[in-house]
Amino acid sequence: MQYLFYLFAAISVLSGLFVVTARNPVNSVIALIVCFLSIAGHYILLNAQFLAMVQVIVYTGAIMVLFLFVIMLLNLNNSTEPQKTLLTRIAAVVAGGVFLLTLLAATRQGVEIAAANPADASVGLVSHVGMALFKDFLLPFEVSSVLFLSAMVGALMLGKKEKVAA
Amino acid sequence: MSALILTSVLGVVLLYLGLSGNKSILAPTAIVGLVAAGVMSWTGWNPGLMEFPTMLKFDQMSTLFNCAMIAVTVLLFLFGIDYYRRMEENVAEHYALMVFSLTGALILTSYTNLLMLFLGIEILSIPLYILAGGKKRSYRSSEASFKYFLLGSFATAFFLMGIALIYGVTASFDLAVIGQKVQAAPNNVLFLLGAFFVSIALSFKVGAVPFHFWSPDVYEGAPTLVTAFMATVVKTAAFAGFYRFLQMTAMPPALSDTLLVITILTLFLGNVVAMRQSQFKRLMAYSSIAHTGFLLMAVLANSAMSWSTLFYYTFTYALATVGLFIVLTLAKRAANGNEAIVIFRGLFRANPWLALVTMLLLLSLAGIPLTAGFVAKYQVFMLAIGAGFIKTAVFAVFMALVGIYYYVLVIREAFTPAEETPVLVVSPINWLVVSACGVAVVAFALWPVLVG
Repeated sequence: MQYLFYLFAAISVLSGLFVVTARNPVNSVIALIVCFLSIAGHYILLNAQFLAMVQVIVYTGAIMVLFLFVIMLLNLNNSTEPQKTLLTRIAAVVAGGVFLLTLLAATRQGVEIAAANPADASVGLVSHVGMALFKDFLLPFEVSSVLFLSAMVGALMLGKKEKVAA
Repeated sequence: MSALILTSVLGVVLLYLGLSGNKSILAPTAIVGLVAAGVMSWTGWNPGLMEFPTMLKFDQMSTLFNCAMIAVTVLLFLFGIDYYRRMEENVAEHYALMVFSLTGALILTSYTNLLMLFLGIEILSIPLYILAGGKKRSYRSSEASFKYFLLGSFATAFFLMGIALIYGVTASFDLAVIGQKVQAAPNNVLFLLGAFFVSIALSFKVGAVPFHFWSPDVYEGAPTLVTAFMATVVKTAAFAGFYRFLQMTAMPPALSDTLLVITILTLFLGNVVAMRQSQFKRLMAYSSIAHTGFLLMAVLANSAMSWSTLFYYTFTYALATVGLFIVLTLAKRAANGNEAIVIFRGLFRANPWLALVTMLLLLSLAGIPLTAGFVAKYQVFMLAIGAGFIKTAVFAVFMALVGIYYYVLVIREAFTPAEETPVLVVSPINWLVVSACGVAVVAFALWPVLVG
């Protein structure tokens, strides 16, 4: 189990790095798919089988394929990438460095992390997720419908062709 | 709870009414619905006794904030009757999205669970990203929408990282449970980190320096009604959410120090940069950043009384802002879409009453005695001094004095005769709303004196 965790962690980190460093956006997307697959691996290690499946089907399957299409349609390459000035680069490095430092410093101080739930292989099955959604988290589940509805309304409003004003 | 359900349903009803093609029934329906929601919220009417105590808790604080936000939205919709008159398409969508956004705001004032905080923020923001791009033919409006969306998503990423860390430490999303665990082990570094991340995201939403870069551009680009909504309802909700979150963390010293730095930067930058603005909406954006600084002081004091100060401050600030944005729209129409401060020139000649009310509203924002803005600032300073932030309070008083300068600039324009007196067309409803804002700003200032 532990080795599997390190394996998946290494794949996630490396593919994640490749996503940001790759020159070609298509390579980036492929690396992101690998990253998402390894995260699905983490979910399985954590006994969240349903989440792992959803991750593969929704993220790696649907969303990333859509992403790939968009990138291919836009025909992005080096020449269309905006050039960043030296100042922005320095600022980005400093900001990122400070962020990394904070995270490292925090994790170095052997902090206590809440114990995970006792290992129960069935905890991540669909029925359990369903029970949690419709019992403990019923209100957030229902309220999120407002969120999706407004997102849909917005997409239609912004995407709809307007009649040309006379 | 029933107010929350009513506003969600009201949004859908408005969308359906939009299909009928009759624009004139939209605003009245929305206003009637919102007034009903306000009454339900005020009386705590809850027929089916639907309660989710681990998700939402409607206490005195959330009731007052909710009623205030609903009232401000009603004022904005009254203004909307005239504002959307010339718009042909998507009027129903505009109203519906604002109602949905208000639903998110209602959640933000009353959540007891980090999941609800997340949903509240998103429901509040996503309609705004869209509304900011409401003028589809305007380049600035699209830019505002896109900028707001990208930076908002970035803030959301920080927020999620924060609650993931907090969950990792406490194994709970419930504020009460987290609060207990934190009191048992106050200096858990991962928890602090999580609280930092959430605070960053919330600072972005309230527009505190250094997370303020979006606000001048978005305020300027968005349609005026939406800008007014952002400056009032959204800011109020974000502050209520911020306050509730910080109450739970019990304000560890590291977090308090960070917020202190953010507060001082916000006070300084907001007030100083506002002095150099020539566009009214940008001026209002920086003024709103400056007010964020004062409000952050109340949050920073983190006493049990902070919320009533926050409520008084945000509500009176919202009333003044709504009035001013209406006056701006009227003046802008007379000046063919120009939004510079100079368009206020000659306002006194054109419409003395409107100019007087504008003066009152601006004086209230500046915090001159006998207006509500003064009482609000006074309360904030007393709160900060009571909590031991004496130097910050002195600095804030100084910054408030700087702030008077740019508000007086606008007043001076309004009372300077123009070469060509602008012709303002003021519809009766707009006149009523602006006057109500002006009267309320004075009435609320006298209220504490009259009552106690």
